[in-house]
Amino acid sequence: MNKEMPSLLPALVVIIPVAAGALIFLVGRFTSWLREAIALAGSAGALVCAIGVGKAALGGAVLLSFGQQFYADALSALLVVLVSFVGFVATVYSLRYMRHQVQEGGLPHTTTQGRLTVFYALLMWFVATMLWACLSNNIIMLYVAVEASTIASGLLVAFYWDRRSLEAGYKYLLLLTVGITFSLFGCVLVYAAGAALLKGSRGLLLSDLRTVADQFPATTVALASAFLIVGFGTKAGIAPFHPWLPDAHAEAPTPVSALLSGVMLKIAIYALVRTVSMFYPGFSPVAAFVLAIGVFTMILGDFMALAQDDLKRMLAYSSVSQMGYVLVGFGIGTQLGIYAALFHMINHALAKALLFLAAGAVIYSTGARALSRLGGLAKKMPITSFCFFVGAFAISGIPPFNGFQSKLALFVAGADAEVWWAVVLGIGTSLITLVVLVKAAKMVFWGKLSDAASAPTVKEAPATVCIAMVILAALCLGLGIYPKAVYKPLRAASEQVQTVVKTTPGTLVKR
Amino acid sequence: MELNRDLIHTLSFLMILTSFAAAESRNLRHATVAYIAQALLICGLLAAYSVTNEALLWWAATALVTKAILVPAFLWHATAGAEQETRPLIGFGWSAIILIAVLAAMYRLTHAHAAVFITDEAGLHGIAQTNLAVAFTIFVLGLYAIFTRRDAIKTVIGLCLLENGVHLSLVSLAPRIKETALVGIATEVVVTVYLLLYIISGIREKFGSTDTSQLSELHW
Repeated sequence: MNKEMPSLLPALVVIIPVAAGALIFLVGRFTSWLREAIALAGSAGALVCAIGVGKAALGGAVLLSFGQQFYADALSALLVVLVSFVGFVATVYSLRYMRHQVQEGGLPHTTTQGRLTVFYALLMWFVATMLWACLSNNIIMLYVAVEASTIASGLLVAFYWDRRSLEAGYKYLLLLTVGITFSLFGCVLVYAAGAALLKGSRGLLLSDLRTVADQFPATTVALASAFLIVGFGTKAGIAPFHPWLPDAHAEAPTPVSALLSGVMLKIAIYALVRTVSMFYPGFSPVAAFVLAIGVFTMILGDFMALAQDDLKRMLAYSSVSQMGYVLVGFGIGTQLGIYAALFHMINHALAKALLFLAAGAVIYSTGARALSRLGGLAKKMPITSFCFFVGAFAISGIPPFNGFQSKLALFVAGADAEVWWAVVLGIGTSLITLVVLVKAAKMVFWGKLSDAASAPTVKEAPATVCIAMVILAALCLGLGIYPKAVYKPLRAASEQVQTVVKTTPGTLVKR
Repeated sequence: MELNRDLIHTLSFLMILTSFAAAESRNLRHATVAYIAQALLICGLLAAYSVTNEALLWWAATALVTKAILVPAFLWHATAGAEQETRPLIGFGWSAIILIAVLAAMYRLTHAHAAVFITDEAGLHGIAQTNLAVAFTIFVLGLYAIFTRRDAIKTVIGLCLLENGVHLSLVSLAPRIKETALVGIATEVVVTVYLLLYIISGIREKFGSTDTSQLSELHW
């Protein structure tokens, strides 16, 4: 049984980066080192508090802040640690990368200082809003936090302010807001049905709603699930609601791409699972629908990735596909399925962030991002090359990397639940993933030096950029070799999703 | 005090009328005026409902500031010097016919089935059904405007209609909702609209107009 206790930690996880962002707006214009130091301190502070929350959750405690408004159980804690960690790595990476990118534009000094200030402040707020979404226990505030993360990242997507990034930014803000409005409707329907059973404002708390969700009228469940899946699914890049994703992930500055693909998609999936999974026990077709839409997303994303020539766009489509895998796990709905989905979420966050950062390092050095213009970089950029290959193998599910462990668990869960068609399609899609990513890695790093890569200025990326990549690569390998390290937190987190499943696990999608 | 049912019905139908005007008007400033009228109607509706629940007066005040003042002010600023909308995908005649058909069908459908979702905690009885039907109808109208208009600013107006639909449904579905949640929802719309219009100003600067069909640098 979970022990609930009030604590400041969950609140601090969100407040620290919010305060850091505000401080950067105030003083960032004057000195660049101060601005960067605040950003580093803010993201590191959030990470330290997040680890504190994680430790408490592992001990079986549920930390509460602001009454019961912030609720950090094992599932929230897992996401909070993941988001703050990737946020910290992205901040380290930004230090040299963004200075270089902004100065390359040839803008006057005051303009570049102003733009970098906005960048770091919004980066902090983007991370903070995602952390808030993981911790919110209030179903309406969950919507508010998820939408706030869209708002905070909207200008980051359009940061370069050229034709491509403006188009991406417009589509991003518009489509995600339309999508998320659907989920507000869904949340309100859930609230209304819950309020009738729970009496009063208690109906707003997710932890209470879960206890009565199986008594909701079937019509409400059907409509609310549809609205929630369309809403949060749009933000998670679930097909057919994904068209904003490749644009935004490709046009945003690389550290932001890494956060968008690495963790923002997971926040949306988290919101989807927190809300929709409460209907699993009473209404099994909901789980079957999640499974079907997951398989569709998984296949479509990889075929689209196959056709791309732009390195970052290719990675973005691959994210669509991997989100499909995660949904398949949640759709299987058994404890092993949910466990595998959560594991794959972590692995994809690490590996895809790594791939984006490596792609960014290539862009940093060569200024090119079309696969057809790149080639033979392995000799000039050995660290980047190594890291890219690690990320590619990890996502494709090749041992001894982390993606292998989670995909294996996913397929075993599928076999156990006897959804063979999903398992077969999943394994087939994995092969396509391998082709897509390894082909791209080969084109960029092997073969003859291309024109864009042969300039004498092309050399290995600077130290902070490499450090950020190496940390992620080490984790991809480490979790692949020693997956036991995350067994305990993953099991605790999957139990949180499972607590509502009163029927015997495994019976949900069995026919 | 009793609910003034006639007043609520009248305001509800006027809501649909103003949505229609905001979606179909080819002059962006006229559409903005129609939007202001709709925002004032929402405030009026909330005030009319507040006899059953005084907290709704807070909502009315929040809606007045965000929907009737801030959002229109941003729209007004954004349409300075470019009041005429880019020609939409569907011409006026057809659009009006389609829209009226969709509205009538949506209204009938939702009015017949809305009772399922109403828990009647606020004691609104039959009137909540009308409220929900109007809310769903405006939601669908907003979606229609977003996906058939080519002008970026008109699309934003469509988005505002969509949000109004959802917010209106809160009266019947979540009458006991906390003020913090409400302020969160309302603030978010204002910030989103502001940011969208800011990006659209960048689009106008780089592309020369707000016609979204030109946004074609990024293909699948």
